[in-house]
Amino acid sequence: MSSQDSQDIETATTAIESAPDTKTRRYDRQLRLWAATGQSALESSRVLLVSGSATSTSILKNLVLPGIGHFTILDHAKVSHSDAGNNFFLEGYNSIGKSRAEEAVQLLSELNDGVEGRADTRTLESILESHPEWITSFTIVISHNLDHALLNKLSALLWKDAKYPPLVVVRSAGFLADFYIQFHEHTIIESHSETSPSLRIDKPFPALREHALSLEFDNMDSTEHGHIPYVVILVRALEDWKKSHGGGLPTSYEERQQFKKSVLALKVKGDEENFDEAEAQAYRCWTETKVPSEITALFSDPALSTEAMESPFFHLLAALKEYTEQSDTHALPLTSTLPDMKSDTHNYIHLQRLYKTRAEEEKQAFKSYLRVPVDDGMVDSFVKNAHALVVLRGKPWGTFDQDKAALVESLSTMPKETCIHLALSALSLLQASDTSVSPSAESIRANIQSIVGQSTELPVEADDAIGEIARAPFSELPNTAAFLGGMVAQEVIKMITKQYVPVKGYCVIDLIETWTGTIGA
Amino acid sequence: MATEIHVNGAATSSDWQDRYYHVDQILDRPGPRTDPSFLAGDEVKDFLRNKCKILVIGAGGLGCEILANLALTGFKDIHLIDMDTIDISNLNRQFLFRPADVGRPKAIVAAEYVMKRVPGVKVTPYYGKIQDKDDDYYMQFNLVICGLDSVEARRWINATLVNLVDSENPESLKPLIDGGTEGFKGQARVILPTVSSCYECSLDMLNKPTTFPICTIANTPRLPEHCIEWASVLEWPRVRGDEKLDTDDPEHIGWLYSIAVARAKEFKIEGVTWSLTQGVVKNVIPAIASTNAIIAASCCNEAFKIATSSAAYLNNYFMLIGTEGVYSYTFEHEKRDHCPVCGGEALEISISRDWTVEQLIELLTEKQTIQIKKPSLATPEKPIYFQQPPQLEESTRPNLEKKVFELVPDGGDVVVTASSLPFSLSLIITYT
Repeated sequence: MSSQDSQDIETATTAIESAPDTKTRRYDRQLRLWAATGQSALESSRVLLVSGSATSTSILKNLVLPGIGHFTILDHAKVSHSDAGNNFFLEGYNSIGKSRAEEAVQLLSELNDGVEGRADTRTLESILESHPEWITSFTIVISHNLDHALLNKLSALLWKDAKYPPLVVVRSAGFLADFYIQFHEHTIIESHSETSPSLRIDKPFPALREHALSLEFDNMDSTEHGHIPYVVILVRALEDWKKSHGGGLPTSYEERQQFKKSVLALKVKGDEENFDEAEAQAYRCWTETKVPSEITALFSDPALSTEAMESPFFHLLAALKEYTEQSDTHALPLTSTLPDMKSDTHNYIHLQRLYKTRAEEEKQAFKSYLRVPVDDGMVDSFVKNAHALVVLRGKPWGTFDQDKAALVESLSTMPKETCIHLALSALSLLQASDTSVSPSAESIRANIQSIVGQSTELPVEADDAIGEIARAPFSELPNTAAFLGGMVAQEVIKMITKQYVPVKGYCVIDLIETWTGTIGA
Repeated sequence: MATEIHVNGAATSSDWQDRYYHVDQILDRPGPRTDPSFLAGDEVKDFLRNKCKILVIGAGGLGCEILANLALTGFKDIHLIDMDTIDISNLNRQFLFRPADVGRPKAIVAAEYVMKRVPGVKVTPYYGKIQDKDDDYYMQFNLVICGLDSVEARRWINATLVNLVDSENPESLKPLIDGGTEGFKGQARVILPTVSSCYECSLDMLNKPTTFPICTIANTPRLPEHCIEWASVLEWPRVRGDEKLDTDDPEHIGWLYSIAVARAKEFKIEGVTWSLTQGVVKNVIPAIASTNAIIAASCCNEAFKIATSSAAYLNNYFMLIGTEGVYSYTFEHEKRDHCPVCGGEALEISISRDWTVEQLIELLTEKQTIQIKKPSLATPEKPIYFQQPPQLEESTRPNLEKKVFELVPDGGDVVVTASSLPFSLSLIITYT
């Protein structure tokens, strides 16, 4: 071990922090999910809400609490009697007749001093005409039950340039709702995947292999023998197996059972749990260490072939591609995270050091393929999460409703979800033509039929969706608003932090049977 | 119809015209999935707004959301129980509280806030434990909603409501709606005590809590968590004696942290931080506003549908995982045949004739479907082993080493009690 290493250990184990400050304490429960990097992304974000409906303020509440930087409510409406009854962020009866945006901004701002809120009482129409750049200056834009024609204009504007903010389209009536995130491209390093990276037991790096071979299992005292980490046991047992099987791995079921038996046969005492653990983890020996297919698929992403790549993510991905092609292992760079295992301190920490040292070497090798400088923190995070990188590519809002073949397919595979989505689309078309009368079930059905094509037969599930929309076409139930408030805020947080994986397609919600489903991805 | 009332000196109208415009669209006519028993119109509105009495247990992350939703939906007689006071770390999601409220009882602050914001709603808070209340108290409600973070409290209210059911009296069946969250995950469920699967029926769905063997902590630490446990489990009682560890006291956490850091340094273990120390000793569960909003909304939505019969309700379990896209799963959790709470039957346990009482106790504490700590055992005739009081513990201790077979005949009954168990568990012991 070099002196540099021992110094690292010294600093790593002795740096004493003082008690956390007020802000860290306030955000403690969420920092455990998205850490300081996610928090800082939230704090520099600016969110635009088109409408100050109960649903919109519910969404905002769940964004103001965790601490976005700024929000604007764009709404020229005055608080109506019914608004005052179903929106928690109005002063009840006292708010009637006042600006809906201003009243809501005041009460939402109370939730968090660190968030800046603004009310804008202009109409979306006028801004789309005169100041579209104002809309595109936000981090993300959210609309709720927006008029059909205006929504088309807004989504078209935001789709024009891949750099423009994503748009979240939220629609609801009574117990039914759906929402969709329009975005060009969304890259995720910290997907928080539950799959863990390879420990390279099948292809041990030299230091690990040497360590496993150097141990004299037979000459250990029983305490030491009972504390050899399973990783070392497996590497050793596999090396021995290969020697006696012409270099091959256990492949057939019988061979694998035999291998497991040989692991257990190494026990000198019946209660050596480390060998039981090794047997349970033996599958790692025949799970080949290679680049996962999801990551290989990213290597052919079109963004890699463009000349002027701007995003550091794709520079890192390009480097990863070259690295895996050219390195000896043809695997992703090793991650230093070693799971806990039955062992004593000395053996475990020694093994951990082997992994850390090797991981650091591979990271340096990986970095040599980078064509542009990338922030070290980002490189570390990228390498650590290389097995779970995600690239999502989206479509413009409304594409699904214009694709008859896709709708017909979706009607047969996910009829309940598709019918609710179509009934909401039909409602929005009907409201565009006349907002004064309640649409009848017949008119909703006719509009669905015009979307999917007259010759497409609607499944029986359509009756439930149509009937429910016709029952309460203009109803914004407090519970539906609150449910959407949570759902949409959750997805917006994922978009802003670029952590976890946001929903792709139309997320449909039925609060009668209480389920969610996703279509049209 | 609208009557002027005065709240905090400001003139308001408790039920102004169109106040319930949105909810009334649902209550004025049935939908395709509405039960035929639904009485659309004034009668159902009158029940919801003037007669229905609902109990909310917990005024934390879920509780705050639940209160606001119920109030807006039109429930006007809401009772609220919570035993906690407000901490600064609540403010990232418990939106009825402000920094100035830190230290005050959650139930009282939440009730005041909702009554101020939603005129005409009466919220009756109780700052204390659910166990303080008797059957008569619980009997007065039409519905109970729980937003709790404790398994023990859930088991208690579940067992209490199951025991309340009297087949002669339909009013005694109180639907229980239970929500829970952890990070981006959560669940909501509807329990009709004795009719559908109860909380106890699904105990095996809980994740096993992470525990570290004491020998690892004492002798072979590998993880930062082991060093923290060493500080809190072993060093605190050794050095600080009888002083009670207060996980909310920064001085206490700071002390544990410094001890854990020293331990980690000695063993060259990386990763002990203040945040991790607090997380381990307090068993902190990540919590965010958005997940709480989803789960609370679905609980209140079920309460609304059950109270009004305006639509079918959840049958009976909704599970949400929001980490990768939006994944949810709605299913019917089935009653467990031998549920010790709602099954009404004794649990059969088959053991070897060689087993000692100690081994049986170990089995009971490890069993995922039972989950008890420190159980006491007795046959219908005499005690086998009692954890308390000390005299009885001492006099029954010799039985621990005896074989169960010497004390209980084949097919014999054993009654298990524990302070964490809100009911007594009957076992039938058979021998292999």
